[in-house]
Amino acid sequence: MLKVTDLYKKIGDVQALNGLSFQAENGTITGLLGPNGAGKTTCLRTLFGLLQADRGQAEIDGMDIARQPLQARKQLGLFPDPFGLYERLTPREYLEFFAGINGMATADAREATAQVLQVLQMDDIADRRCQGFSQGQRMKVALAQSIVHQPTNIVLDEPTRGLDVMSTRVLRELLLRLKQQGHCVLFSSHVMQEVAALCDQVVVMAKGRVLAQGTPAELCASTGKNNLEEAFIALIGTDEGIAA
Amino acid sequence: MIALIRTLLRKELLDASRDKRSVMAGLYYAIGTPVLMCLLFAVLLQQLSSNDELYIHIDNAEAGPALVQYLANRDILHGDESKARAIRLSLADNFEQQMQQGRPATVILDADHSDDRLLSSIRRIERALGRYNSEVAQLRLMARGIDPALMQPVAVQIHDQATPDSRGGMFLGIATLTIILTLFYAAMNLAIDTSAGERERNSLTLLLSQPLLSWQLVIAKVLAITSFSMLGLVVILLVSKFAYGLVPWEQLGFTIRLNADFMVFTLLIGLPLALLSASLQVLVSFLAKSFKEAQTYVTMVLFIPLTLSMVTTYNIATDYVQWLPIAAQQQAMIEYLKGSALPLPQLLVSTLLTLLLVVVFSYGSSRLLKSEKVVFGL
Repeated sequence: MLKVTDLYKKIGDVQALNGLSFQAENGTITGLLGPNGAGKTTCLRTLFGLLQADRGQAEIDGMDIARQPLQARKQLGLFPDPFGLYERLTPREYLEFFAGINGMATADAREATAQVLQVLQMDDIADRRCQGFSQGQRMKVALAQSIVHQPTNIVLDEPTRGLDVMSTRVLRELLLRLKQQGHCVLFSSHVMQEVAALCDQVVVMAKGRVLAQGTPAELCASTGKNNLEEAFIALIGTDEGIAA
Repeated sequence: MIALIRTLLRKELLDASRDKRSVMAGLYYAIGTPVLMCLLFAVLLQQLSSNDELYIHIDNAEAGPALVQYLANRDILHGDESKARAIRLSLADNFEQQMQQGRPATVILDADHSDDRLLSSIRRIERALGRYNSEVAQLRLMARGIDPALMQPVAVQIHDQATPDSRGGMFLGIATLTIILTLFYAAMNLAIDTSAGERERNSLTLLLSQPLLSWQLVIAKVLAITSFSMLGLVVILLVSKFAYGLVPWEQLGFTIRLNADFMVFTLLIGLPLALLSASLQVLVSFLAKSFKEAQTYVTMVLFIPLTLSMVTTYNIATDYVQWLPIAAQQQAMIEYLKGSALPLPQLLVSTLLTLLLVVVFSYGSSRLLKSEKVVFGL
């Protein structure tokens, strides 16, 4: 479970987060939807403790990230934007490394890595160096990295950007599977289609605060529109920075 | 916690060892420098010990055949334009006459004294003329029944305590300078790559989002870079041993012998310096905003160890400098090679100082990694 309460964060002269509050439950896929510059990435970075909020708090499974960063982060998997791969390592080495720094013993890390490589059907690229991987292959490595240590919460920052149809399907299937296993999945996006297709809950944010939260159907009903895109435009008042 | 640092270290080593260009760039220094120095020394030695025939212009030689013969016996000869150096010795027209009358006979030594390449030749001619002077004077005194010893009120006896090995001061300085600077240059690219490079490739933020503390990350990086610095040190010691073995030291009566004892000693006193080099370069790279900026800053900062080492090499270190990192270690290496007593207090203090700086620099880096500005390169 992820919960942010009344987050404020100023970066330079910009009030990136302006009293942001929402909650993402276990067994649910929550979409953080907002136009470019809404504060989505800032919100996620604060959730990870990379940025310190000026006010408010972010909790992971009830643990405050500012107070118990190490314990809280063990329950977090991050699919970052950009991926942050090590070009000179193979996916297997990369995954074993991340499993290791999340506290897994060498043997456990090796086993968890083998497992996740199998789940994502990456055995053919597991022992090649990441240098020269396609965008889809890179996405898989990043995705595998975010779940290899079996965290309860998985956070994805703009996961579908630049992916082809096949890769998007792999991603979608994995997210649904994680949801069925009872994980809490939170992803940020400005792509309407994938939010509508995947999310149980949608948090609409703009200018650093939440405008509305609910299921896609609830959002449509509350705005009197018949699809999410229209509802979204109605909520933020403009269609600027949104991809259909 | 140890397991975590080990995992981080293993990743750093694996990643760095596959960065072939950076590793090789470091090793080129370690392999190339001793070879270059070996050539340089060979040339220098030849210049220093060239007691061969010296050709100069001697004008009006027929005026003083005895003097010209005396010089010729000492391999100072008249040569034609193509052969002779730009030194001109002119005998006065009345040279023979003045000599016979026991009056000073004029000889003009004409050369550019600011030309360093001529200086040793000029000194050699001056010495030869001086000796000719005193030999003729002694003969004149004896002919007049006076003991020539009267002309020598003080008998100066010079006891040279220099051992063959202690003579090669400058050579030892340069040899140890190249060895000690390896610690700073061998892993320079790797240090920049693992810090500024890691940030530029966006893996730094991902790493810092993991359950680890920034100092653990810094320690792993510093240890990894230290390993490569030490690898560079091992390589340069082995190459130096081989290369300096080829230099014809006998001409000057000393040798630079890098035996196994010296290598172990250098590795021991080099280890704290390798840590210093790694922690300094990581800190500077994190302070820079980009990879290229880091390259510039690191290159600039490396002038400090270079200066400390140069000061030791040319033996112009003040009393304070001898207690500083790098200078003291290098001095110890020089003394070790000379077979003299080691400057133990200086070595101890500077090693402690070195380790203190390692802690300060590493702490600085881990503080930087907590700064949003640094992590995101804002």
